[in-house]
Amino acid sequence: MLEYMTILIIKTLVAFAVSLLIVAYSTWIERKVLGHVQLRHGPRRVGFHGLLQPIADGVKGFFKEELIPDNADKPLFLLAPIISIAAAVTLIVVVPFGGKVHLFGREISLYLTDLDVSVLLVLGISTLGAYGGILGGWSSGNKYGVIGGLRGTAMMISYELSMALAVIAVIMVSGSMSLVDIVNSQAGMWNIVKQPFAFILFLICGLAEINRTPFDMPEAEAELACGFNVEYSAMKFALFFMAEYCHMFVFAALVTTLFLGGWHGPIVDGPHWFFLKSFLIIFFCVWERSTFPRLRYDQIMAFGWKIMLPFGLLNILLTGLWLLVF
Amino acid sequence: MELVFILICGGLAAIASLLVIFARSTLHSALWMVVSFFMVAVIYVLLHAQFLAMLQIIVYAGAIMMFILYAIMMLNLRREQDEKVPVRNSKIFGLVALVVLFMELVMVALQHGVEAIHGPITDQLVQAHGRVAVLSNFLFSDYLLPFEVASILLTAGVVGAVVLAKRTK
Repeated sequence: MLEYMTILIIKTLVAFAVSLLIVAYSTWIERKVLGHVQLRHGPRRVGFHGLLQPIADGVKGFFKEELIPDNADKPLFLLAPIISIAAAVTLIVVVPFGGKVHLFGREISLYLTDLDVSVLLVLGISTLGAYGGILGGWSSGNKYGVIGGLRGTAMMISYELSMALAVIAVIMVSGSMSLVDIVNSQAGMWNIVKQPFAFILFLICGLAEINRTPFDMPEAEAELACGFNVEYSAMKFALFFMAEYCHMFVFAALVTTLFLGGWHGPIVDGPHWFFLKSFLIIFFCVWERSTFPRLRYDQIMAFGWKIMLPFGLLNILLTGLWLLVF
Repeated sequence: MELVFILICGGLAAIASLLVIFARSTLHSALWMVVSFFMVAVIYVLLHAQFLAMLQIIVYAGAIMMFILYAIMMLNLRREQDEKVPVRNSKIFGLVALVVLFMELVMVALQHGVEAIHGPITDQLVQAHGRVAVLSNFLFSDYLLPFEVASILLTAGVVGAVVLAKRTK
């Protein structure tokens, strides 16, 4: 029992440390890649090629002045960033970094838990996390914030559906809702081959769920002056910021797990494949941000309901047909 | 130990639902409702019904409360004029989907492919097949008729809501 608990605690600490390190450094990746895409250098001053920049930003966040607007709903204003980051970090619990390995004479699994409803847990908790942004926008008593929050809600509702439909197709092919089982079922052939449409659907809806650029409606700088987080400063803003990048990492991990074979790969299976694929997806997120302009709000809604949703339903129908016939 | 946790969560759920009624602002009531739903989900987890817990979070705490929050926040703002854009080819797509669905239904009916698990849900059964598998087996074999009736009722409800919303325009 004691040994089990010790292993579990060590595993939890390592998983969270690694994940948060990735979260911190994906901000660096974002700034660096965006910089080079736009023919700039990106951060260079702190450390080698700006490698210490995320740490400097964190320290800066702690020492800045915290402002709370007079007409803010104070309890909610304080609670919103906490909801955001708590939900984002909770999702790391089900991320399968790797399979079982032998370490110090024991068999250790490189994931924290393997529920038989992991996929649903991810969908559910990420919806709860969206409350953070919405409440943050509403409670700051700022009209830009409210509009940002409203847009966030509408987009969440619209794209969560299509995302779930894409995931259902994967569940149908893999025959399980546990992320570990889904990875194991892809040992021979990755799901991206069996479910190319679901992959595209999931990628687009995922970008909308994590508020990346073609869909960054809740904070559209040019229209809403940063939307839901307009009144937030110092560490509270940093929490929102971290939650966003944490969601991006979890999204990358999910794409890897559901479609790209997780920790499976040529030559030696292992967590290195998981991290390589995840970083490719993170790079993709940054890349498309520097490529696509922001869509208009009504375009996003029309796209979500009139194209993605029927497409997702059709994909499920075809998958069902395919499973029946073969 | 579990009983203590269940009592605590139940108490919190009860307090939260009381606060739904007594909270001053509508938005705070809605949020207390989320807390109450979440606590019920925790009780489901403590009763080892993880699947139900996740559904509780996704459907109630997630989707439904999100809609309610949206409605509350929307009422504070002026109503935007939404333009009517007709969906082209929707009838053709609907027809194709109908044909494919019907074909799948016929094929499933012809195959008798589902091997049902019968009898009470025991620990051995759960160990052997997993919670979700056991639940879905019961849902799609012994309780197929109530399940389908419920789904038709829900569809009828959605269609009814659309008709009512269109009439007021």
